[in-house]
Amino acid sequence: MTSTNPKRDRADGDVLLDVRDLSVIYESAGAAPVQAVDDVSFTLKRGEFVGLVGESGSGKSTLGFALTRLQKPPARTNGGNIFFDGSDIRELDTETLRTQRQGGFAMVLQSGMNALNPVRTIRNHFMDIFRAHGHVAKADREARAAELVRKVELDPSVLARYPGELSGGMRQRVSIALALSLEPQLMVFDEPTTALDVLVQHAVMDTIQSLQASENFTAILISHDLGIVLEATQRVLVMHEGRIVEDGASRDILERPQDDYTRMLLSHYADPRAEVVELPGFPARRSGAEPGTTRPRAEAGDAAVVTRSVRSADSAIVVDGVSKVYPPPRRGEKPVRALDDVSFTLEPGQSLALVGASGSGKSTLAKLITGIEKPTQGDVRFGDVDVTRLRAKGLRDLRSNVQMVFQDPYSALNPLHTVEYTLSRPIRNMTDLRGDDARARLHDLLTTVGLTPTETFAQKLPHQLSGGQRQRVVIARALASDPQVLIADEPVSMLDVSLRAGVLALLEDLREKWGVSLLYITHDLLSARLVTDDIMVLHDGKVVERGVTSEVLRNPQDEYTVRLLDAVPNPRRLREDVA
Amino acid sequence: MTSTQNVRIPTDGAADGAVAATSRWRSFSRTLGVVWSNGKARVGIVILGLFVLVAIFAPLLAPYDPKDTSFDRNLDATGAHWLGTTAAGEDVLSQLIFGARISILVGLAAGVLSTLIAVAIGLSWGYLKGFASEVVGFIVNLFLVIPGLPLMIVIAAYLQNGGILMIIAVIVVTGWAWGARVLRSQTQSLRGRDFVTAAQFSGERAPRIVFREILPNMTSLIVGSLFGAATAAILAEAGLEFLGLGDSSIVSWGTMLYWAQNSNALLTGQWALLFAPGLCIALLALSLTLINFGVDAVSNPRLRDGKATK
Repeated sequence: MTSTNPKRDRADGDVLLDVRDLSVIYESAGAAPVQAVDDVSFTLKRGEFVGLVGESGSGKSTLGFALTRLQKPPARTNGGNIFFDGSDIRELDTETLRTQRQGGFAMVLQSGMNALNPVRTIRNHFMDIFRAHGHVAKADREARAAELVRKVELDPSVLARYPGELSGGMRQRVSIALALSLEPQLMVFDEPTTALDVLVQHAVMDTIQSLQASENFTAILISHDLGIVLEATQRVLVMHEGRIVEDGASRDILERPQDDYTRMLLSHYADPRAEVVELPGFPARRSGAEPGTTRPRAEAGDAAVVTRSVRSADSAIVVDGVSKVYPPPRRGEKPVRALDDVSFTLEPGQSLALVGASGSGKSTLAKLITGIEKPTQGDVRFGDVDVTRLRAKGLRDLRSNVQMVFQDPYSALNPLHTVEYTLSRPIRNMTDLRGDDARARLHDLLTTVGLTPTETFAQKLPHQLSGGQRQRVVIARALASDPQVLIADEPVSMLDVSLRAGVLALLEDLREKWGVSLLYITHDLLSARLVTDDIMVLHDGKVVERGVTSEVLRNPQDEYTVRLLDAVPNPRRLREDVA
Repeated sequence: MTSTQNVRIPTDGAADGAVAATSRWRSFSRTLGVVWSNGKARVGIVILGLFVLVAIFAPLLAPYDPKDTSFDRNLDATGAHWLGTTAAGEDVLSQLIFGARISILVGLAAGVLSTLIAVAIGLSWGYLKGFASEVVGFIVNLFLVIPGLPLMIVIAAYLQNGGILMIIAVIVVTGWAWGARVLRSQTQSLRGRDFVTAAQFSGERAPRIVFREILPNMTSLIVGSLFGAATAAILAEAGLEFLGLGDSSIVSWGTMLYWAQNSNALLTGQWALLFAPGLCIALLALSLTLINFGVDAVSNPRLRDGKATK
């Protein structure tokens, strides 16, 4: 690879960044100190594009902040050296630190798109930087700003606009251009695409890659997603519990991972288009084309009757010609059409995936079904009940049958209530169980979602639980009223890759044992393939494709479905491309 | 299920099992620790503590009865009367010590009452949507736009000589609106959180969501609002008494100022008569404001670690 790029050849062997035995500690008052980065050493050659991968809490962002001296208390570097271009950046005083940001190192943050000042135009942002560092002659500033904006594939006309007028992806591109304006030798990208929509993510990553190649800066890409990193970078550092457990070329990591942790991360990637999809903790899911592999509908229905004899008959959710129009966000603009003539039926025991990028209307649909909002047109029925006409009492009854699993387990649990309290409320409000029966029910629920020993978990507060455990509590709460329908709105998108499979397996299990029907809302086609039988693809509020999940994903008809499929990060695709 | 028999699960809606209670106590003492670790708040707590002790032990500390008029009039500071005597012949130091009782009582009572009203109205206002919210908003805005002091004077003049209870009532009626507004905006931001929607999905009714789910998450804001309201109440009480709108026969810092002004204390050179109660009012208000710096650190952790390390 090096021989194809003469520039890089020349730079080869020239070490830009040399990190030796770096340790960073978090010292908060009243809490035990946490060694977030523990004795980390690595070097970066000029022009290299390196990925830094780890799950949440692995210390990867802390390391990124330490490298650029952007860390704030309570974080403190408590050992080691960082040599950047020969000098130790830990020794720099604040003024040298500021001036060296030009031609030195820059960082692009996850929330970089929110780092723009809303009352100043994009042009002002560039001019501020040029003025602060004075490295561009006054006459050239305008041209330079336009050039930078063009580099990140934006039209120079955005210079005259305010941040609020740009989309999230455009704003993130602007913040990359701002970082570039200082001609840094080292760029640190901290999860630059995580807060963006899937399709936009892909486009922004492409921009970063081509920029790195054309501008030839050295770059570190910090991400939780090994798939994205392996697709983009030449070398990967895998971080786990503050240490670098693996450091190797992307290809080597993909084909011959040395560390167990890396192997575990890799095992959670699969191609949703494949004939057989297999993840740890999941039985292999074959395509529907093979006989006997799709679950027969009737069987699921039977299971429901067996385990839930309490209820007389299960009802289907019928969505009939539903449209939802929101009033225009600003005066003079058009009203927003979130849903346009959507119809479907969710039969008892069925699992249906609702797929689309953000803004496709999938969450709006969930709000309509649960009665949080009313449709502008059309009908939503649950059995004989017209959901659109329900008042407070009727909604409570509806919600004992239709329950919701939320996207963010960190905000879906009240931080001040124990698991026991959280679960006891729906049992008390929606079932006739009292006293010992309610207690038994609570412990059954915790056992069902795999939080054992139940006595211990019942007494915990949310902050004592991991993300995956929290999401299990959220699922247990949704099950407490013995619902017929579970609406899961991106239930795993906030979780680490290694925890996702467990939560998905739980949902799958519940469907089989409890006969719950599942409406699974997601943008992640791999997880949709794993837990659903049928799929519906939404684009701009319209259904563009529907059918059996495995068939739709293997032979997508609509161009939008293809784009969503391409956006699924998959390191193995890289291997196939090469082979 | 024998193993689960000893675990208490709330069946009556109360969530505090033994374990939850201890952890709640622990988090309470940790919160106190955070407030105490703030230097300004520590000074405030010490000053407030001194005033409270003085108020409690006033009969033991005061050298004379504050209403005893048997001394020589208009005395300067002497060994027998450290701060001199008033134009009516009362001991100023004794008055000052007993006056602390009224100020702390009014500050506490009026502060707590107006905070209670602010919590009840602010939280339901923030949780409600639509027409009901507009109606509450109109009433709160009405109280906000009317200038406080003139309104207090009008009400106090109307309820002539109601004594200390009347003063508390006047302060409460005019003082709750600002707190309600602050609490409402926080409620609005919390009501959008998933756990509130989740509580609706758990079949909870609106009052329970407001007071069991949302309210505990804004404790520090409410405590902050309480100290703010108490400060305002202490100042308002002194102001009303000084204007002669309260019961001028009771001994408080406000009435001391009133009588000192009436007897032209400054002209007779008895500056201590005005200075001592004025300083006490300022110090008490200051102590509450200082404590609020510590309370701010509870709700915003960034204020805690700011200076600890570089």
